Amino acid sequence: MPKETSQELRQPAEILYAEELDALIKAEQHPVPAGWRMSPRSVLVYICGGKCGKLNITPKYIGHQRLVEIAISTLVTDRALLLIGEPGTAKSWLSEHLAAAINGDSTKVVQGTAGTTEEQIRYTWNYAMLIARGPSNESLIKSSIFRAMESGSIARFEEITRCASEVQDALISLLSEKRLSVPELVTEVPAQRGFSVVATANTRDRGVNDMSAALKRRFNIVVLPAPADLETEVSIVTKRVGELAINLQLRAEIPDEEAIIKIVTIFRELRAGQTLDGKNKVKTPSGVLSTAEAISLLANSMALSGNFGDGKVNDNDLASGLQGAVVKDDDKDVVVWKDYLANVMKKRGASWRGLYSACQEHAGE
Amino acid sequence: MSKTPAMSATPHIFGVRHLSPTAAWHLRQFLDRIQPKLVLIEGSENANHLIPHIVSAKSKLPIAILAYTTDPPVRTFVYPLATYSPEYQALVWCEENKVKARFMDLPSSVFLGFMDRNRTAFPKKEEPKSETQKEPPGEKEEEGAEENEAKPRTFSIYERVAQLAGEPDYETYWERHFEQLRGENSYRNATRNFGEELRGMEDFSTRHGAETLVREAYMRRKLQQAYADGFKPEQIVVVTGAFHALALGPELAAMNDEEFARLPQRESKLTLMPYSFFKLSSQSGYGAGNHAPAYFEMVWNAYNDNTTTLLPARFLTSVAQELRSGGTFRSTAEVIDSVRLAGTMADLRNSLPTLRELQDAAVTLLGQGDPVVVRESLLRVEIGTRVGALAKGVSQTSIQDDFYRELSRLKLEPFKSGVKRDLDLDLRENRRVKSAEAAFLDLHRSSFLHRLSALEVPFGKKLNVRQEGTTWAERWALQWTPEAEIAIVEAVLLGETIELAVAYKFKQQLEKCTSITEASTIIRQACECGMSASIELARQTLQRLANDSSDFNALAAATYELGLVIRYGDVRQFEAEPLKPLLEQLFLEGALSLVANANCDLAAARSMVAGINELNKIALDYSALIDEPLWISELQKLARADHLSPILSGYACALLVERNLISNEELAREVSRRLSPGIPADLGAGWFEGLAQRNRYALLTRLSLWEQLDQYVKGLSEEEFRRALVFLRRAFGDFSPQEKRNITENLGEIWGVNAEHASEVLNAELTEKEKKKLDELSDFNFEEL
Repeated sequence: MPKETSQELRQPAEILYAEELDALIKAEQHPVPAGWRMSPRSVLVYICGGKCGKLNITPKYIGHQRLVEIAISTLVTDRALLLIGEPGTAKSWLSEHLAAAINGDSTKVVQGTAGTTEEQIRYTWNYAMLIARGPSNESLIKSSIFRAMESGSIARFEEITRCASEVQDALISLLSEKRLSVPELVTEVPAQRGFSVVATANTRDRGVNDMSAALKRRFNIVVLPAPADLETEVSIVTKRVGELAINLQLRAEIPDEEAIIKIVTIFRELRAGQTLDGKNKVKTPSGVLSTAEAISLLANSMALSGNFGDGKVNDNDLASGLQGAVVKDDDKDVVVWKDYLANVMKKRGASWRGLYSACQEHAGE
Repeated sequence: MSKTPAMSATPHIFGVRHLSPTAAWHLRQFLDRIQPKLVLIEGSENANHLIPHIVSAKSKLPIAILAYTTDPPVRTFVYPLATYSPEYQALVWCEENKVKARFMDLPSSVFLGFMDRNRTAFPKKEEPKSETQKEPPGEKEEEGAEENEAKPRTFSIYERVAQLAGEPDYETYWERHFEQLRGENSYRNATRNFGEELRGMEDFSTRHGAETLVREAYMRRKLQQAYADGFKPEQIVVVTGAFHALALGPELAAMNDEEFARLPQRESKLTLMPYSFFKLSSQSGYGAGNHAPAYFEMVWNAYNDNTTTLLPARFLTSVAQELRSGGTFRSTAEVIDSVRLAGTMADLRNSLPTLRELQDAAVTLLGQGDPVVVRESLLRVEIGTRVGALAKGVSQTSIQDDFYRELSRLKLEPFKSGVKRDLDLDLRENRRVKSAEAAFLDLHRSSFLHRLSALEVPFGKKLNVRQEGTTWAERWALQWTPEAEIAIVEAVLLGETIELAVAYKFKQQLEKCTSITEASTIIRQACECGMSASIELARQTLQRLANDSSDFNALAAATYELGLVIRYGDVRQFEAEPLKPLLEQLFLEGALSLVANANCDLAAARSMVAGINELNKIALDYSALIDEPLWISELQKLARADHLSPILSGYACALLVERNLISNEELAREVSRRLSPGIPADLGAGWFEGLAQRNRYALLTRLSLWEQLDQYVKGLSEEEFRRALVFLRRAFGDFSPQEKRNITENLGEIWGVNAEHASEVLNAELTEKEKKKLDELSDFNFEEL
C-alpha cells in the first residue's frame, strides 16, 4: 500500500509503489530487456495486478488487460507508444505507471501546451553561461527527452496534440533516427537502448493540432476506452478514492459502496445517453463525465464532509459535487440535469430518495 | 462377447479437433509412422461410397456431406470438410497410400432419427424457425470440445479454462496450447488428456450425453467388425474427436444387433455439396475451431511448405493489401512493425503469435488504434470468400445435377460465388446472335431464377428496376450460399429436376388454393417461371373458382393480374391465347358483380374504387377481347343509381365523363340532381367526392358544374354545411395547389371577383376571426357521421 509519511502533495508512482516494484525486481525470473528494470511480464503484473511471492500487487489499471499487453509489447519493440482516449480514461495514469515500472522514473515529462516550444523537446541554453563561456556541455540545458535518450529510458509526452504541429514535428527525426544532433557543439547524442516515448492525446482535441501522418506512423496507437461495465468502473473508483483519501489526508470516511455505485451509475448513464438497462434515453451534457471526474467528485465530497460536516459523506455532499460535475457552463446542461433528475432518478425508488431530494435542492437554486 | 487376445488390444487412436490444421499435420505424420492397413474415421458410416469423390482431385474444398430425410418433415445435417480437416487429410493419405478408409459413426438415418426425436421431445426449445432444420447436429462438428446449446454450463467451463490460462478467450487458449504443438506425439497426447478432462466434466445423463454414449458404442461395434474382417488392432488407426479417444478401447462393450435395431431411424440419403468458408465460420459452435477458415488454411499451407515462421508476416501483409485495395494506404514499414508487435506480444506468453495477437497488431498499427478501419480487411483475410466446388456429376441428387447443368447452360457459373453480384436481364430477343438459345439467354435466366425463388432457394433476390412498368427488364442480386444448396437438395422431395419440382409445388398450391386472387398470383408466377403446363393448370383452377365467385374486388384483382400476364406473353415467349377466354370470363363476372357489390359502406367503397379502376384499365387495354358495352352499361347503371354508395356512383360518372359518354347537359343535370337542396350532405357531397377523383381537368373546365356546387353550398343550413364540409374537404384534399387555384378562379368568375384577388385572399394568413371559426369547426364531432 502507498506510504503515508511524505509531505509531498502527490508522489510519483515509483515512490508510492516502491515496495511492489522492489519485490517484483527481486523476484524476476524472465529476461529483462536492455534499459529496463524488470521483464515485460513483471510490468504487466505491476500494472494489472497479481501476486509476487506473498505480496499482493494492486492493480493500477483495471479492465482491458489486453491493451496493456499491447502497450508493453510496443515499448519492447523500441517503438513509441501513443495512448489516445477521452479525457479521464487513465491515459496519463497508465503512462506514468509504465515509466515507473520500466525505468523507476516517471518524471521525465514534457507537458504539451499551446506554448510548448521545440526547445522543450530538444535542448536549450543557460544563456548567462552561454554568453560567458560560449557553447559547452555545461551551458546546455537538456530536455526530458534528451535525458531519456542519454540514459536509455522512457520519456513521457503529455497531451501531444495540444502542441503546434511544428513542435510535434521535432519529434519525428528523434523517433526515426534515434539521434539528437547538437550542431552548436558539433556533436550528436545517440539514444541508448531502452529509450522510447509514451505520448498521450485527447480525442476531444482531435482536429485542434492533429498529428501529421509522418509522426503518427512513428507511434503504435492504443485507444483507451471508458471502463467496459459498471462493476469495473466501481472498482476503479473505489480503489482510487481510497488512495486519494490517504494521500490527501481527507478526514472523512470513504463513501460506502452504495454511494459509489450511485455516482458511477449516474455518470455512465449520462455519458452513454441512456439508462443502464437501456430502457430510457437521457440527454447527454456537454462535459465528458469521465471516471477521473467521478473520483475527484467523491474525493471532493469527502473533503466537504471532513472539514465542514460530520466526517461521513452524505447525500448533500454528493449532490453539490454532482451539480458541479454535470452542469459545466452551459444552460443546456441545467436542462439535461433537471430532466435526468425528474425522469430517471425520481423513479428509482426509496434507496435513491435521499440523493434525489438533495440534488433537487441544489438544482433548484 | 468373447474376446480373442488380439481383440483385447487397443487400436491406434488419434483424437483430433475437427478443422484443426495442426491435428491434420500431426495425423499425417502419425499415419506415415504407423503405416496402418485400415483407417477408421468418425463420420456417418453410410457415407463410405462418397470417399472417392471427396478425395478426387477435381473436388475443391470446402465441401460437405449433406444427409437428408427422403420424406417430410425434412431434416438435414451437414458434415463439412476443409483441406485442413484431419478427417479429410486422413482420407487423402489413404488414397495416396492405397490404404482402406472407412467411416465408423452411426449411419445418417440414426442421426436424423435423433434429431426427429429431439425436435418432438422439446418442441419449444429446439424448434427453430422452420421445419427444415438446416444446422448440422452438434455431434458432427464439435467433438474436440463438445458443444451443447441447451447447457450454458459447458460454455462457462471453456471460458473458465481460458481464464485460468490467462487467455482472452477459449479460441486463443486452444490455438496457443494445442495448435502450436510441434513435437512428435505431443498433439495426440495433449488432446487425449484434454478429452479425458472433458469427459470428467460431461453430464452423460442428458439427452446429448446419452447420444454420445450410443455413438461410442456404435464405433466400438465398427471396430469389432474390422477385427472380424481380419484387421489386427495394431494395423488400425482411428481418427475421432478427442472427446471419444478414451472410449473406444476393448474394456467397454460394443453395441449389439438388438440394440442397434432399437435406435430411432429416419430413411435418409447422402449427397456431397460445395461449402463455403463463410458458412464454416458462421457455423462455428463453441470449440469447433473454424472461426477463421482462411487463416487456418494459411496455417495449413505454412505447415506444408515449412514456412510457419513466416505466417505472421503473410497474414499481416495480406491485411495491408486488402486495406490498400480498399483505398487505405498502409506502408510496408507499418506491416514490419505490426509483425514485430505480434511477435513481442506472443513472447509475453512464450508462444508464437496466435490469431488474436495478429488481430491486435493489425488494429494497433494498420488500423492506427481504430478497429473499425481494419475490420473488413481482417474478415477477408481470416474468413475469406472461398466457395468449394465438385466435379460435374458428383452430386448425388438429380436435382443438384440439374441445378449445375442449368447454371452452366445459362452461363451463370461466375455468379456461384460467396460475393453478392448484380445481374441485369433484358428479356427481349437479342437479334444480334445466331442461335435461338443465345437470343433468349436472359429470358431463360429469368425463368430459372424465378423457379429457384418459387422453390425458396436463397440464391437470387429480385431487385426493383428503376424504370417502372417495364416488362422486359429485371435486376437480380445473386449470391451463392451453402443454404441454397441445402434448399435445392430438400426440393428433391418435390421433383427430380428443378422444373419438375416447381411444377409439383405449383400443383400442390393450386390444390389447396381457395381464392381467385391466390390462383391468379400462381398464374403470374408460373408465367415468370416459364412453366406453360402450370399456367394451364392454374388457369383451370382459376376458372373453376371464378364461376363461384362474386366478390368484386377479388375478381377485379385477378382480372388485372391476368391482364398483366397476357401482356407479358410477348416478352416471355409463351402462348397467351388459352388465357384470353379466361380473361373474358373473369371480366364478365367482375362487370356483372359491380352493381351488386356497390351497395356498401364507405370503407368498402374505397377499396372498390381501386378494383373499378383495374377493371376499367383492362376494358381499355383489351377492348376487342372483352365485353366492353356490358362494362359501360354497368357503369351507367351504377352512375344513375341513387341507392348505391354515392362515392362509387360519382366515380362511375367520372369514368363515363372520361370516356365522353356523358354530354355536358347530362352532366349538368346530374350534378344539379345530386346536389339539389334537401339531399343529405353525405349523399350529395359524397357523390361529388367520387366524381372528383378522376379527370379533374374535365371538371375544372366546366364552369356550370362549379356554379351548381356554389348554389348547393349556399342552400345548405348551418348544420348541413358542417356535414357537407367533411366530404368536400376530403374531395378536394388531394387536389394539387394548381388545381385548387383553378377552382378559386372558377368560383371567382362566378362571384364576379377578380381572380388574382381571390387567390390572394385564399393564400393569405388567417385572421383571428377566421381562426376562431375554423377552431369551432375542429370541435365539430365528425364521428357522428
